[in-house]
Amino acid sequence: MSVIKKPNRRDFMKTTGAAFGVPYVITSAALGNSERPAASDRIVMGGIGIGNMGRGDQGAFLNRKDVQYVALSDVREEVRDKSKANIDRHYNNGDCKAYNDFRELLARTDIDAVHVATPDHWHAIMVIEACRNGKDVYCQKPETLTLREGPLMIAAARRYGRVVSGGSQRVLEDYRKYVAPAWAGEFGKIKSINVNVGPLPQLCNLPGETKSEAIDWDLWLGPAPWAPYNPKRCSGSFSINGASWRSFSDYSGGGMTDWGAHHFGGATFICDVRDQQPYEVNYFDNNDEKYLAYRYQNGLTIYHNKPRTNQLMIEGTPGEKLAPKPVPGYKGEGGIYGDFIECVKTREKPFRDIESAVNTASLAHLGNIAYQLKRSLKWDSVKQEFVGDAEANRMTDRARREPWQL
Amino acid sequence: MLDTAFDALKTFDWGSDLTALAPIEDAATASHGKPEARQDLENRLIAALKGTLTRDAQDYICRKLANVGTAAAVPALAALLVNKGNSHMSRFALEQIPAPEAAGALRDALPKVSGDLKVGVISSIGARRDTAAIPALSGLLNDADASVARAATLALGAIGSVESAAALQTALRAAGDRRLTIIDAVLKCAESLLASNQIANASSIYKAFNDESQPRIVRLAATRGLLACASQPAVRSI
Repeated sequence: MSVIKKPNRRDFMKTTGAAFGVPYVITSAALGNSERPAASDRIVMGGIGIGNMGRGDQGAFLNRKDVQYVALSDVREEVRDKSKANIDRHYNNGDCKAYNDFRELLARTDIDAVHVATPDHWHAIMVIEACRNGKDVYCQKPETLTLREGPLMIAAARRYGRVVSGGSQRVLEDYRKYVAPAWAGEFGKIKSINVNVGPLPQLCNLPGETKSEAIDWDLWLGPAPWAPYNPKRCSGSFSINGASWRSFSDYSGGGMTDWGAHHFGGATFICDVRDQQPYEVNYFDNNDEKYLAYRYQNGLTIYHNKPRTNQLMIEGTPGEKLAPKPVPGYKGEGGIYGDFIECVKTREKPFRDIESAVNTASLAHLGNIAYQLKRSLKWDSVKQEFVGDAEANRMTDRARREPWQL
Repeated sequence: MLDTAFDALKTFDWGSDLTALAPIEDAATASHGKPEARQDLENRLIAALKGTLTRDAQDYICRKLANVGTAAAVPALAALLVNKGNSHMSRFALEQIPAPEAAGALRDALPKVSGDLKVGVISSIGARRDTAAIPALSGLLNDADASVARAATLALGAIGSVESAAALQTALRAAGDRRLTIIDAVLKCAESLLASNQIANASSIYKAFNDESQPRIVRLAATRGLLACASQPAVRSI
């Protein structure tokens, strides 16, 4: 067996430094010390979308000694200014660059990795563009807005050998108590599990209002249909009931994808089907009790909102005990963020590798489409299309507003 | 109920109550598998779209035609492709209507639009993977408008055929600073070819980029591609 030596970061800097003839002035800060790696061993990062979740993500990366945070992008001026000030204060310098347009950040060749926490309608474009620019990506959940986006994001990550992690710390951290016995075989073969999450996304028809903030509205909308500014339309609050973009179908899959990323993610982890998608979604409407049953090739059923059934209620096989298997977890130190950074260094797949994250998001999208069409659907996960349902296939993607393109 | 909803559309605008349009939503769902009811709904939507409506109401109709539109809706939608305020939502429908007339309308619009609108039309052609558009897209690869040239590049990559790859590889010879974008599109073609079991064609593309003169990230992608080709049964048996 031949072994290919992976170039480390120092090798890479030597190579690129030589190639571009970059003068390399070694400062004491660059050399590092026992507390902090040398500059050449730090991951140089930037962030796109620094609102609610982005601010939290930024803080997590900023506080890591093995990360040098150098740039951010946000369409809100106040967010940009505050965030830059925060980073400059952290490093006691004025080096952080703040951009309105994410493309300027992604074009920088000195940045190794970015985190993306914009509204969902931007994720695919940004992740793919980041991969094209040779960057690793931590993308907040839900990673996709449409079914078509997922495979394209995975392909871009694989094409360029990028480490792309989805979000949701809850998948591992909240559901350990179920995962541990499930993977220990204590439930026997799991027949079904129930996920209670919602609501569905809604069309947004809020009236236009005078802008109450300095925001690049056209860039906030990006690939989404044009609509007038309204603070509720673009609020980054965690509301999924009409007071934030998370509620609206042009920007989000609603509660199905927003909380579904956690709950469906947890359910698929418990049942060890994170690498799969269902082949069928059955729609039930019994006396206005609407619910779904996702069918998997291994016989598993994941219910959604099954009446009178608790969150993550597991139906196992009583009396049966399966052979235990090791439970995957985070690599490195520092939770899901540490997992991503460790994988950036080692080039391993992160816990929430983009493929697994896309599978979770797709589960929610399939459900949204079944509820919207009010009928059961068959899904070919290889072809990524509905079987025998041309109308459902029209809902796997949507045209992006010019000039945005996948 | 449906009549009332279409009446509401006449004055529908941002801030209007969406529940007034619920019967249209219901009719779209209920008419599945009922051709006459579906055609009636589509005819009503087309007629409304030809009337005088707010942009919001037009957008709403385009959303519905994306779900239920057929070739019959294409002329009304195509007329909107050239309007700055309507072009996107027209594509929102045309991109999803399976009828070849929808693809034809997008191709026909290419010489009629410029700038961002042209970029949009090109992106929808790419999303439809319209092989009949390859000659037209190839002709735009060196367009004076860099955004148009980039859009054509990405669209040919999305189409992912031997012919689109060839057009991109020809453009690569004089690519300048667009080189990496074109390579990305060619690599996408190789992935599509590999996925459709055209391994020799995919392998040929990867081999061309597995060269010391290429940037490291491209060589990495080419190496990965070649490994993927080598893992295919047809190659293994050679």
